[in-house]
Amino acid sequence: MSQRDLTAELRAAHTTAPPELRERIRLIAAAEPAPRRRPRLALPAIGWRRALVVAVPVAAAVAATVVLTRPSHNAPTASRGEIFRASVPQAKRAAAPSGAATGGAAGVVPSQKRLQDYEATLTLREADQRALSQASQHAQQIVASLSGYAQSVSVANGAAHLVLKVPRTHVQAALARLGKLGAIVGEAVHVTDLQAGANATDRTIARLQRQLRALRAQTRTPRVERQIAAVTAHVQRLQRQQAATARTAHYATVDLRLATKKHAAAPVGHGHGPLHGLVVAFRWTGIGLVYALAFGVPLALLWLAAGWVRRRREDVLISRA
Amino acid sequence: MTFRRPAAYTGAMTFAQAAERHLDDVYGYLAWFTGDRFAAEDLAAETFERALRLWPRFDPKRGSARTWLCQVARTVALDHFRSERRRVRREQLSAPAERVEAAFAEGLSSDLERALTVLTPAEREVLVLRVVLDLDAGTAARVLGISPTNCTTRLNRALRKLEEALDVAA
Repeated sequence: MSQRDLTAELRAAHTTAPPELRERIRLIAAAEPAPRRRPRLALPAIGWRRALVVAVPVAAAVAATVVLTRPSHNAPTASRGEIFRASVPQAKRAAAPSGAATGGAAGVVPSQKRLQDYEATLTLREADQRALSQASQHAQQIVASLSGYAQSVSVANGAAHLVLKVPRTHVQAALARLGKLGAIVGEAVHVTDLQAGANATDRTIARLQRQLRALRAQTRTPRVERQIAAVTAHVQRLQRQQAATARTAHYATVDLRLATKKHAAAPVGHGHGPLHGLVVAFRWTGIGLVYALAFGVPLALLWLAAGWVRRRREDVLISRA
Repeated sequence: MTFRRPAAYTGAMTFAQAAERHLDDVYGYLAWFTGDRFAAEDLAAETFERALRLWPRFDPKRGSARTWLCQVARTVALDHFRSERRRVRREQLSAPAERVEAAFAEGLSSDLERALTVLTPAEREVLVLRVVLDLDAGTAARVLGISPTNCTTRLNRALRKLEEALDVAA
């Protein structure tokens, strides 16, 4: 018998349910509740499993985003090694007219009594290359007139970068005068307190000197001599360290950046252009997608593996039936 | 959270109508699958009981009522096989399992009826879905939970095996 005849005979065969079964099914079907009216705004058919497959990764991504983007509790505090930061908002910076006195950043007054590491960053925009060159020279003159010096000067096409050292006591005057050399685009001040560390070093030196006096009062044995030499070396090292700290604290560092309009680029990380919102949206969408993938892919693999195992079990079950 | 739109509300077909129309198909499928018409009767009744409970979740856009009822019937049959396996294990020591004479459908020649017993339930299942109930490869594959290619391969293997069994009998 050919396969064609075989399928024809199989198709011709029929299986009719016995009347008792038909009656039984009619009784079962009679229990069907009356159909309810279809809701006007019916949602598309999504099974709870499918909803879960989407909801779990999304929820995990949202949770992870919330956790990871929560503001840190380790914000700078004004205690030991205190740090002060100040910067002018972008809008204010953009609106600041040429020659205007510096705002928030210069408002951070260096302490006259405490040792501090004072770093200021000033970004100015110049009208053209000539103005930039002049401003660069004026900046060096200003610093020199305040007993400071230029640690490094780098002038490239349309941009200049000067690292200026100014006595800390004159830094506010320097910032005010430097701010008049162009339109302020950005400024920031970073102050680190060094006094607490210096005090601790002073105490250590005092303790070591007491120890040294006690050692010198003892009988000079080779061991005592060695100890005296070691303590003396330690004291000298700490004194050099203190001197270096005092020197660092004496001068404030002013990082001056000048650029012509053509080359003026928005400071890194502050580019709030017209497409900024779009960039932020894309970035967060990307982050969300990465999290969704990170959570979704293992879940999908698990789901596929579970399906495969179920089918294998069914095959085994049917083959043994 | 209820997202699923109850298809029964679309007004296409009531459960009673679907049951009346597809009872023979479901019963035939179960008879071929199990090779036991008495068991098929019980399983058909259980299938429709379960189908009535699940009827609000039936979506005609995703497949016909016949396909959906066959899927429910398959789940019921698999549950039956599982419970049978457990029962056989329990009774294995006391007495050998009673062999029920297979009867698949009316109108089959005795040679073909005998040849069908050579096939495994999985092969008979694909045969009844593709040939007897005349489902297309995709629909049958969905009922079986396999790919259409796999379904076609399984059908060809079953037909070849059946042909060989008939040749041997001749």
